[in-house]
Amino acid sequence: MTDPAAAYAASALAGPLLLILAAFACLLLPLFFRPLRGSQGLIAFGAVLTALTFTRRAPSAEFALFSGALLLSPLSAYLWAFVLGVLALVITLSISRPAAPDENRGEYYFLLLTAGTGLMVLVAAGDLFTAFIALELLSLPVYALAGIRRSKPGLEAAYKYFMLGTFGSAMTVMGIAVLNALYPSLAFSTLKAGAAGPLALAGFLLVISGFAFKTALVPFHMWVPDAYEGAPTQISAFMGAALKAGGVIVLWRLFSLFDGGPVREIFWCLAAVTVVTANLAALAQNGLKRLLAYSSVAHAGYIAVAFFGGQRGFEAILYYLPVYAMATIGAFAVTLALEKDDKGPRIEDLAGLARSRPWLAFAMSSFMFSLAGVPPLAGFFAKFFAFTGAVNSGYTGLVVIAVIMSAVSMYYYLRVTVAMYMTPPPDPGAVVQPAGGDTTGPLGAAGLVVGLMAAGVILAGVFSRPLLALAAEAARWF
Amino acid sequence: MELLTNPLSLLIILPAAAGLALLAVPREKTSALKGISLSAAILVFLVSLKLYAGFEPASAAMQFQLDKPWLPGYGVSYALGVDGISLLMIMLTAFLMPLALLASFSYIKEAQRAYYICLMFLEASMIGVFAALDIFVFYLFWEGMLIPMYFLIGVWGGPRRVYAALKFFIYTMAGSVLMLAGILWIVSAHHAASGVWTFSMPALYAGALTREAQFWLFSAFALAFAVKVPLFPFHTWLPDAHVEAPTAGSVLLAGVLLKMGVYGYLRLAVPLFPQAALIFAPWLAGLGVVGVIYGSLVAWSQRDMKKMVAYSSVAHLGIVMLGIMSFEPSAVAGAVLEMANHGLSTGALFLLVGILYERRHTRMIEDYGGLAKVMPGFAAVFMIVTLSSVGLPGLNGFVGEVLVLFGSFKVYPWLAGAAVSGVILSAVYMLGMYQQVVFGPLRHTENKVLPDLNAREWLYLLPILAFIVLIGVWPGPFIKRIMPAANSYIALSRQAAPAAAAVEALK
Repeated sequence: MTDPAAAYAASALAGPLLLILAAFACLLLPLFFRPLRGSQGLIAFGAVLTALTFTRRAPSAEFALFSGALLLSPLSAYLWAFVLGVLALVITLSISRPAAPDENRGEYYFLLLTAGTGLMVLVAAGDLFTAFIALELLSLPVYALAGIRRSKPGLEAAYKYFMLGTFGSAMTVMGIAVLNALYPSLAFSTLKAGAAGPLALAGFLLVISGFAFKTALVPFHMWVPDAYEGAPTQISAFMGAALKAGGVIVLWRLFSLFDGGPVREIFWCLAAVTVVTANLAALAQNGLKRLLAYSSVAHAGYIAVAFFGGQRGFEAILYYLPVYAMATIGAFAVTLALEKDDKGPRIEDLAGLARSRPWLAFAMSSFMFSLAGVPPLAGFFAKFFAFTGAVNSGYTGLVVIAVIMSAVSMYYYLRVTVAMYMTPPPDPGAVVQPAGGDTTGPLGAAGLVVGLMAAGVILAGVFSRPLLALAAEAARWF
Repeated sequence: MELLTNPLSLLIILPAAAGLALLAVPREKTSALKGISLSAAILVFLVSLKLYAGFEPASAAMQFQLDKPWLPGYGVSYALGVDGISLLMIMLTAFLMPLALLASFSYIKEAQRAYYICLMFLEASMIGVFAALDIFVFYLFWEGMLIPMYFLIGVWGGPRRVYAALKFFIYTMAGSVLMLAGILWIVSAHHAASGVWTFSMPALYAGALTREAQFWLFSAFALAFAVKVPLFPFHTWLPDAHVEAPTAGSVLLAGVLLKMGVYGYLRLAVPLFPQAALIFAPWLAGLGVVGVIYGSLVAWSQRDMKKMVAYSSVAHLGIVMLGIMSFEPSAVAGAVLEMANHGLSTGALFLLVGILYERRHTRMIEDYGGLAKVMPGFAAVFMIVTLSSVGLPGLNGFVGEVLVLFGSFKVYPWLAGAAVSGVILSAVYMLGMYQQVVFGPLRHTENKVLPDLNAREWLYLLPILAFIVLIGVWPGPFIKRIMPAANSYIALSRQAAPAAAAVEALK
């Protein structure tokens, strides 16, 4: 390894290491230094921003560290920047509206940062076993985070998520065991070279199912609505934006091991079933968080459609992930600003929002239109890139299903705007009361997140060239 | 800089910039809001006049072209250009917009800032649709236009506005998504054949697609445009949207948005897939004629004036479809002129109904009667507009209809014959409505005190009247500009004729 390479590796690794350090700092320091109590959020935020400066642009090369367990390249730099960005936003939301009771604040940030570290390792993992370890490092803290409020829906969410998640993990381990017996190593590059017999196929399918759980592809999505609804909204935002990204990257690595055959057909079915089921189920939802949960499942389906676009499709996915994350984090931030109880607002609770808080309503509608994929918002460009690749590879049928279902999705996204703009508030004079009780008071840091994300979904579409160029550069290093 | 010096690009950017500027105006300063939006719309109209003045009438080529790479990796570029057809449509849009704004000044009382912002963005995207020479840009404006229109109907509309707004949005979106898949397909096919990624319309016109592929792609495009036209049986969103929309929304819906569907056939569906177009043309023309008769019959039975005008749109657009699907130069040119005429006369009808509604808060025909006595000015304007709508010789409606009917008679004698009955029916119901509203005794005491047109109303009605008469007596300049474009549309549709003939011969 040459010197600049070593220097780069050291600086890049400083990111996840710093997160671990900050995680322990959040957990332990306030125990010893009273004045730090209550400022764990700031520590975490500072650590994430510092880590972000370490994920500087990678030189155009791939470095395999720890005998290939971690692959550092412009791809990992791109994804790490994405993960850290999401973490920073989620932490900002948590500072503005604490998700955990005061006495658990240390644990909250500890868990969040640990999950972030797991995610960073997951997206850079060079072999299946590392990916599995990282997945567990990511999942276990999120199970706990989902129930950190110890409220009834929170605990129910955590429990369901944990049970199903463990089931998924067990399948992954089983699959890895099978593959380990058949292949000389579990590195993705080795797996590609080997010929796939029926037993290997079974192994792959088990692993794919496990990761499909995390990505929330139908039929592995049953945990999603309950978990998103019961978890603190900040954590729902994290699950929607970041957790999914981790699963998507690993699934893409697995998907691209195959040039054809049954695995591709299974992915075809997963994608088709996901976009159809999720969009139809979302039509019936009344809770905003459940709606966003099904929307997140549907978007996992659109991303799975992009898998079929090959290199171009991967580039599209790398553009899709941040664009989707912006809209989702923004929508959850609005939800957070309006929620009165653990389950979050219902759609009809948004009635009259356009009058009482016009900017919040404006931002929320930009998120909804972006998620629905209406031009000129960024979500349209993301879908356009995602589907272009798939059509170009000859999967027009799948794209036709996806576009029809995105027309269906229009209805439930529009319902939110109908409530905000076209429905009078329940009784005249009464306006939507946010958690704080003051309807005109500042939203604080959550408002900043909403504003940033709204600017993002509005501008990242028409001016998509810079982000797309970064995504293309990163995609080349797959 | 080219983005601002090119008049077409300026026509798109100007209203959008005005929309953004309105965001900075405090919401209470309603006169500033009105002033900025009206002056922006007038400025846009002046720029469109410059476009008209600089347009070379005899040329069929795209003029004022601009081509800026946008997403080079995908071959998307911000490409604009106009021929005679799009020129006329852009002029129509720019002309109707200030009038629609003037008509809104007293009608819209709440959330005014958002209203004018929606109108400004609507104008930008409508002009964008007509100016686009890149399919991606076209689709972007085509769909993007839904957002402001959705809010215009849903927020400032009538009692059933939410239903109408959702129906409008979802119908259009559902029709268009397959077109998106189709766009991706032809671009991919072009890439496979030539190795170049491009969304440029002229580049894709020359593409060689198999007959079967053309069939499916044309279906996808035709569906999207049929919803917008609207062709029978995809028209059911239209009465709801027109009736519930505020006056300015109805004017723009009828005046401009419906033309986008026809324009889509002219600019995209037919030139891209000429072989399939030849197969579908008789059917589309037939649906157009069904629309003429059905629309007229339903309009006849309406008691709500706005609904009647809405259904009369279905009939008028049916005639336009008959014209463009006959591939006869005079019929196509007549159809394009008819598009503009319909924009003027139906726009004016909606404005007039809006004027009555503002005074009496009802649109039912039986609530009026004898208005000639209290509102003589109104009655006179209403007369001219009604006659224009039914196609009285000497006014604009006649020129377009006659050209279409004569031209299409050569190709579809039966259909053209049936369409004539629709024209007769339209005279029956429009004049019947006019008679019941304006003549007869003043049956309702409330109507005795109705004020006649005020200065602002005259201000926005007179320009329309001027054009109604001008096009009626002197259509030459317009036809002259449309003709080359109509001829090149027909030439593009004939590209595939030899191949189609060969297939026929094989049978």
